[in-house]
Amino acid sequence: MIGFALRALLFVGALALAAFLPTWLSTFRTYEFAYVGIYFIAILGLNILTGYTGQISLGQGAFMALGGYTTAILMADHGVKDVWTLPLAGLAAGVAGYLFGIPALRLRGPYLALATFAIAVSLPTLLLYDKLDRLTHGEEGINLFGIPESTASITPLRVLGHDLPFEKWIYYLTWTIAAALFLAAWLLLRGRTGRSFRAVRDSEVAAAVSGVHPAAYKTLAFGISAFYAGVAGGLYAMATTFVNPGTFPVALSLTLLVGAVASGLGSLWGLLAGAFLVEYLPTLAGKVSSQPGVASVVYGGILIALVVLLPDGAAGGLRRLARPLTSGRVFRS
Amino acid sequence: MSNFFQHVVIGLSSGGIYASLALALVLVYRATRVINFAQGEMAMFCTFIAWSLLDRGLPYWGAFFATLAIAFAGGVALERVVIRPLEGGPTLTIVMVTIGLLIGLNGAAFWIWGGEPKSFPSAFSTRTVHVGGVVFSVQDAGTIAVTLGAVVLLWLFFRYTKLGLAMRASAVNPEESRLVGVRVGWMLAFGWGLAAVLGAVSGMLAAPSLFLDPNLMRPVIIYAFAAAVLGGLDSPVGAVVGGLLLGVGLELLTTYVDALAGLQLPVALAIIVAVLLVRPAGLLGRPAVSRV
Amino acid sequence: MKRVFLVGMLPLAAVAVTAALAAGGAAAPSSDPGVSNSQVLIGGTAPLTGEAAAAGLTASGANAYFQWVNAHGGVKGRKIRYKVVDDGYDPAKTVQGTRQLVVQDHVFALFNSVGTSQNIAIRPYLNQVKVPQLFVASGWSGWGRDYRKYPFTMGFIPTYSAEGKIYARHILATRKNAKIAVLYQNDEYGREVLSGLRAGLGKRSRQIVAARGYDPSEPSVQSEVASLRSSNANTLMIFAFGTRAIQAFVTVKKLGWKPQIYVNAVSAATTTMRIASSTGQTEGAISIGFFKDPADPRWAKDKGYRLYRSIMKRFLPGKTVSNGYYMAGMAAACAMTQALRSAGRNLTRGGLMRAVTRLNFKDPFTLPGIRVKTTPTDRFPIQQAQLERWHKGRWHPFGRLLAAR
Repeated sequence: MIGFALRALLFVGALALAAFLPTWLSTFRTYEFAYVGIYFIAILGLNILTGYTGQISLGQGAFMALGGYTTAILMADHGVKDVWTLPLAGLAAGVAGYLFGIPALRLRGPYLALATFAIAVSLPTLLLYDKLDRLTHGEEGINLFGIPESTASITPLRVLGHDLPFEKWIYYLTWTIAAALFLAAWLLLRGRTGRSFRAVRDSEVAAAVSGVHPAAYKTLAFGISAFYAGVAGGLYAMATTFVNPGTFPVALSLTLLVGAVASGLGSLWGLLAGAFLVEYLPTLAGKVSSQPGVASVVYGGILIALVVLLPDGAAGGLRRLARPLTSGRVFRS
Repeated sequence: MSNFFQHVVIGLSSGGIYASLALALVLVYRATRVINFAQGEMAMFCTFIAWSLLDRGLPYWGAFFATLAIAFAGGVALERVVIRPLEGGPTLTIVMVTIGLLIGLNGAAFWIWGGEPKSFPSAFSTRTVHVGGVVFSVQDAGTIAVTLGAVVLLWLFFRYTKLGLAMRASAVNPEESRLVGVRVGWMLAFGWGLAAVLGAVSGMLAAPSLFLDPNLMRPVIIYAFAAAVLGGLDSPVGAVVGGLLLGVGLELLTTYVDALAGLQLPVALAIIVAVLLVRPAGLLGRPAVSRV
Repeated sequence: MKRVFLVGMLPLAAVAVTAALAAGGAAAPSSDPGVSNSQVLIGGTAPLTGEAAAAGLTASGANAYFQWVNAHGGVKGRKIRYKVVDDGYDPAKTVQGTRQLVVQDHVFALFNSVGTSQNIAIRPYLNQVKVPQLFVASGWSGWGRDYRKYPFTMGFIPTYSAEGKIYARHILATRKNAKIAVLYQNDEYGREVLSGLRAGLGKRSRQIVAARGYDPSEPSVQSEVASLRSSNANTLMIFAFGTRAIQAFVTVKKLGWKPQIYVNAVSAATTTMRIASSTGQTEGAISIGFFKDPADPRWAKDKGYRLYRSIMKRFLPGKTVSNGYYMAGMAAACAMTQALRSAGRNLTRGGLMRAVTRLNFKDPFTLPGIRVKTTPTDRFPIQQAQLERWHKGRWHPFGRLLAAR
C-alpha cells in the first residue's frame, strides 16, 4: 500500500503542477506544452498496444490522422463545436483500429510491423486521392483558424472573469483529457484486462491455455490504442488549426514509436519523458548547427545514444534511480 | 500488345531494384532477427562513397570493390558498436536504433554531398535493345542478373560453407551455438557486414537509372520491405521473387486500371497485406514454429 | 504645499525625461515588434531537414544576402536579422514555428517561408494578427489572387498556372495541332501547372491526349513516361522535380521517342539539364526562366551574377555556387531589402505593407528586363518570364519577355 499512496501523491502533485504551470510559462511555451500533452496521449495509447500487449505498431500516426480529419471535417463542414468532436474522433479511429486488428490477428512481429507501416505510408496518399477531395479537401487542407466552432481562437475565452487565450485553453483541454485518459489506462492495466494484455505479450499459447483469448485482447488493444490516437489527433488538429495530408506524415508514426520506446515500454512512468522527447528533440538538434543536414545527424545520434544508454527507456532509468528509495523492492509496472 | 510487354519489362526493371535491396533486408533479418529500417540509407551512403571515389579518379571496378570493402567494414562496425549492447533486449530498441540511423545517415549524406542530383555510371552498357517493339535496357537486365547471382551465391554460402552454417546456427539458436564453439557475436556482425555489402550493390545498381541524391533509396526501401515480406522474410529467393512480382504486378495494375493510377504505394501495400492474410509467413517463407 | 508641488511635478518630469530619451536616439522608436534602433528581426520557416531539404537552401541564400547588406551599413542604419525555423516541410510544424516567431521571437514580418500548403496553413493566423507574410516561396496563385481577404500576404515568383499558360500559348503559336502528353507531379504544384496549360489551350485543351501524375513516393517515373509514349503524342510536358525530371528525359530517349519537350522552370536548372543530357533526350527542350541560372556561362561577366558569386564566396564559402536555390533566395532577399528601405527609418508593419505594394525596381538576380513591380491592386511581384531552348548544353533565350500572369 505504500507504493500506491506514493504513486497517488505523485499523480496529484503532477496535476497541481500542470494546473499552475501556465502562470509561469510564456504563452508560446504553454502552447508547446499542449503538444507535449497531445504526444503524451498518443504514446500512452501506443504503449498499451506495443508495450503491454506486445503488438508492434508503426501506424499510430495514421490513427491520429483519422482522428484529426474527423475533428476537422466535423468542425469545418458540419458545424460541430470543437470539444464535442473529440469523442467522435476517438471513436472513429478506435473503430478503425479495432477493425484493423481483426485481420492483423494472423500477423506476427515484423509482418505486423509492415502491415501497420503500410497504413502509415498509405494514408497520406489516400487522403490526396482526388476522388475523395470533397470530403478531405485534398492538399489545400482544412482551415480551422478563427472559425466559430473553435471555443477560443482569435477572441480569448472568458472563464471565471479571466481571459483564457487560445494557447492556454488548448493546454488545459489537452492536459485535462490526458489526465483522464491516463487514469483510465491505469485502471484498465492494473485490472484483469491489463493482466490479460501482458499474458498475451509474454506468451500467446500460455495465455490461451489459461483461458485468455489472445484474439479478443489483441483486437481490443488495437482498438483502445487507436482510440487514444484519435483523440490525440483531434486535439492536434485543434491546436494546429489546420490539417492536410502533410500534417500526418510517416515520420510522425516513427517519432511516436521512438517516443514510446524512449519512455519505456510496459510502464506508464516514463511517458512524460517520451512526450517531451517527441516535442523538443528536433528543436534541440536544430540548435546545434544550422548547417544543412547536421541537425538530422544530431537527432539520429541522440536517438541511438539514448537507446544504448537507457535500453529500458525513461521508465527503466527511473526504476534504477528509485531503487534506493524502495529499499530493494521492485516497482511493478 | 508490344505495349503490354513494354510495361512488363519496366515492371521487371523496377522489380530488380526492389529485389536487390530486399535481399539485403532478408539477410539482416535472417542473420540477426532484426528489421533494419536503415538498410536503404546505408545503401545510399555507400553509393555516395563510391561516387566520391569515382570523382577522385578511381576506375569503376576499383571504386566498386573498394566500396564493398568499406560497406562490409561499416556494417560490422555498426553491429559491434551500436547493436551489440542491445542484443538480448527487446527487438524494438534495435528498431529504434535503425530509425536513428535512417535519419542520421540521410542528414549526413545531405551535409557531405548536398542535395543536387548526380549521375552515376553503370557497370553495364547503357545500350538499349529493341526487340519486337519492346525496349530492353542492358542495365536493367544486368541488375536482375546480379541479384539472381547474389541469391545463388548466398544459397551456396549458407548451405555449403562452415561460416554459413555458423551464421545460420547463431541466428536460430544463439545459446546452443555458443556451446558448440561458435563466436555468435561475430556471426551477427558478419551478417550485418554482408547485408551492408548487398545494400551497397543495390545502390550502385539503382543509381545509374534513378540518379543519385540523398533520397535515392527512400522510396525504394518501402517497396523492398514489401517485397521481402511478400516473399517471406527468411527466404532470399523469396525476396527476389517478391521483388520481381511486386514490380511487374504494380506496373500492370497502375497502368491498366485507371482508378488506381497514382495509388501505386497503397495498392502495393494492400496486396502485401492481403497475401499475408492467406500466407502469414510470405509466399516462400517457412511458418514460424516455436516451442512452447 | 512644497510636497504637493514636487509630487505634481513628477509626471511632468517623467514625460520630459522620456521625451529626452526618445529624441536622443536616431529617431522615434517604432512601436512594432521586431524593430529596434539597431536591427530589424524577420523570420521564416523552411525545410532544413527531411526530404525537401534541397528547397531549404533558399533560406541560406537569403541570409547570405542580408549579411552582405549588413556589412554595407544595413538598411537605414538597421541590420537585418533573419531567423529561420525548420519545419521539415510539415505544415503542422510550420504553424508551430510561425507562432514561435510571432509570439516568442517577436519578428517584425514573415519572409520567404517555403511551401504552398505550409503557407496556406499560416495565412489566416498571420493576417488576423496583422503580421506581414511576404515573398512566400511558392508559385501558388492564391497569394496574389486573395489579397482582398488576406491583405498581409504576398508571393514572389510567377505563378505555376502562368507558367502553364505560357507553354500553351507557345504551342498554339508554333504547332497548332500538336498532340500533347503531360507528366506531372501529383501535388498542388504539378496540378496547377497542368490546369494553367489547359486554361491556356482553351478550346484546344482536348489536344492533351494523355496526362499521367506520379507520386514522389515512387522511385521512378519510367512507367508513366512509357504510358504517355503509347499515346503517340508529339509534344511532351515534363512538370516534375529533381531526379524524376532527369529520369523522364532518359526514359524518353530509351524508348526512342522524339517529342517536343517542355520542362518546368524548377527542373530546368542547367546543372540538372547537363546530367539529363548525357543519357537523355534534352536537345531542343523548351522552358522559361526568370532568375539568372548560376550554372549558365552566359552570366560570367554580368554584374548581378558577380555580386551573387562574391556574396557566396564571402558568406557561404564551400557551398555549391551553381545551385540555383541560393540565387532564388537572394532574389527574394533583395526585394525584402528594397521594401524595408522604402518603408523608411520609421519602420512599422503598416509602412512595410505600403512599401511592398508599391515596388518597382530591377532585381540584380532576375533576367535582364524583368522588374519586380507591385501595386496595391496587383500583388504579383514578378510577372515576366523568358522562353528559352536547350541547345548544345546550354539554355538559349528566344523571343521577347512574356507576361506571366
